[in-house]
Amino acid sequence: MTLTILLIIAVAAGFYMAWNIGANDVANAFGTSVGSGALTIRQVVILAGIFEFSGAFLVGTNVADTIKGGIIATEPFSGSVELFGMGMLAALLAAAIWLNVATYFSQPVSTTHAIIGAVIGFGVVARGPGCVAWTKMGTIAASWVISPLAGGIIAYIVYKCIVRVVLNSRHPVYMARMAVPLGLSGVVCIVVLSVLYRGLPRLRLDLPLGVAAAIALPAAAAAYVACRAAIQIRTRNRRIRLAERYIVVERWFSRLQVVTGCYMAFAHGANDVANAVGPLAGCIQIFREHADTVATKTPVSPLLLAFGGVAIVVGLATYGTKVIEAVGRKITEVTPTRGFSAEFATASTVLVCSKMGLPISTTFVLVGAVMGVGIARGFAAIDLKVIRRIFASWLITIPISAALAAGIFMLLRLVLGT
Amino acid sequence: MRNLLALFGSSPFEPLVEHAKKVHECVALVRPIAEAIIAGDEQRLRELQHQMSKTEYEADLLKDKVRAKLPRRYFLPVDRDDLADFLRQMDRVADDAEDFAVVATFRKLSLPAEVHQEFLDLADKVVAVSEALLNVAEHLAQLQKEAFSGPEATDVMEKIQQVCHMEWESDKLSRKLARHYYNMNADTVTIMLLEKLCRNLTSIADHAENVGKNLRLMILRK
Repeated sequence: MTLTILLIIAVAAGFYMAWNIGANDVANAFGTSVGSGALTIRQVVILAGIFEFSGAFLVGTNVADTIKGGIIATEPFSGSVELFGMGMLAALLAAAIWLNVATYFSQPVSTTHAIIGAVIGFGVVARGPGCVAWTKMGTIAASWVISPLAGGIIAYIVYKCIVRVVLNSRHPVYMARMAVPLGLSGVVCIVVLSVLYRGLPRLRLDLPLGVAAAIALPAAAAAYVACRAAIQIRTRNRRIRLAERYIVVERWFSRLQVVTGCYMAFAHGANDVANAVGPLAGCIQIFREHADTVATKTPVSPLLLAFGGVAIVVGLATYGTKVIEAVGRKITEVTPTRGFSAEFATASTVLVCSKMGLPISTTFVLVGAVMGVGIARGFAAIDLKVIRRIFASWLITIPISAALAAGIFMLLRLVLGT
Repeated sequence: MRNLLALFGSSPFEPLVEHAKKVHECVALVRPIAEAIIAGDEQRLRELQHQMSKTEYEADLLKDKVRAKLPRRYFLPVDRDDLADFLRQMDRVADDAEDFAVVATFRKLSLPAEVHQEFLDLADKVVAVSEALLNVAEHLAQLQKEAFSGPEATDVMEKIQQVCHMEWESDKLSRKLARHYYNMNADTVTIMLLEKLCRNLTSIADHAENVGKNLRLMILRK
């Protein structure tokens, strides 16, 4: 009976976390597209829904596995597995509470950091610091530093390339017609590769790299050819005045930005669904399946990933639209070429980290990418104070959510008398 | 993401363009003042000087608005010092124009007819330099949008070269005029005041050239 109640609470908390992710973070992907008028809110809900869900469902498993069984060693829990389940529940609740508090004080907080901190918190209280897989944690912490840097460097290179090759060329519009299909084929290649290479075994998507590449590369080539053809059909060969060229190039990139928005949503779903589903998977395994040992090796079930994906989409549809509208109205500074560079860099970095099972913060990578474009002289003024504030809230999130999770865990133990 | 919005501070480049326009408004008053000097119309000179002071004050307000956008917390696509220098030199252009208007009200001048044309030519040339500069500075906001590169940047570099060339021409005119007025038959005070006026005019052109050079640094550096 108690287990059923705990299970219901866990499912509710997991749903709430995923809802939160959908409500607040999808604006990262589509805010600029709405702002530039390339997409309407309704189109965003449909596109983001499809791609967040597919990302979560098709690529979400690696990070979810990490959170479920990669951070806390499960051996010390054998014999009293319900403790592990309660701990994961405590982690979920702690992260959800801290997210709410932080949002109330309008602090930029990452769901990823909150959940990881919370998982460590309960682990330390339950079985001492020894049960935390510190090497794995070290890798994750390193990825938190490296991923924004990588995002920044990629964004810098991409934006510089666009400036050099497209904007600086003698025929910017002509070059844009080459660059836009190239960008699209890049996105297609990476996405297909991420889905097929060591993908979901149940859907038989766990292909070796060679086979995956053999499918991804032709798919990318096909995307390039199709996009070129579409552009050929849609453009009239008229002379464009020098002053207009810049605007025309930006317009082409604003169409491409719809694709990178989807790419962002896909990558975001792949990485962030784990924040809700990872701990939930741990709870369910113990409360529902009455497992005697915590099976670290069993991957998170696709059904659960789908649940997380649906919750994200619900969050997006119920509250995310408001955030996107608010962001889109104000974000005029990010022109399509800049938005494309930042989004492409962010999504690629996040997706690679997702495949490596590293839980990272999409927002952090995006901040890094914006900085990269800024260093390439892309923005009029970037407020470094905001970056400092984001960094600070990252630093405090981990201890606070850890302490919260520890507190909730002890409270649960007290109430349930275990 | 709402927090990410705060990441983008407001651009200093648009107000900078506003400031440049206001400064040119000041310089544009130089021609009517020069005409009033020749006509010896003291009433008109006082009016114009009043108008000049007002315009210069408005330019100062705009300058402060730009300055407020330049604290170290903002990461800018150009060197902050270059930008501050650009603003300072631009401000001097307006100051010189105001000085010219003020000096013109010190004493009723009766310039000999032989220097009239050359004096007007110099005034016109200085206004032309300022106009050419405005033509350049107006592109600043657009340049920022295009990341300080591309055909627009090349175009601006050429126009800066033009400003520099015109400044040199104004120098030549002022030298020619100086040779004239130091040798004319007039009282010393008139010559002194005329020298002061000419110096103010060339100073406008000088500072305008500096602004152009600053912009060149902004485009090239970094």
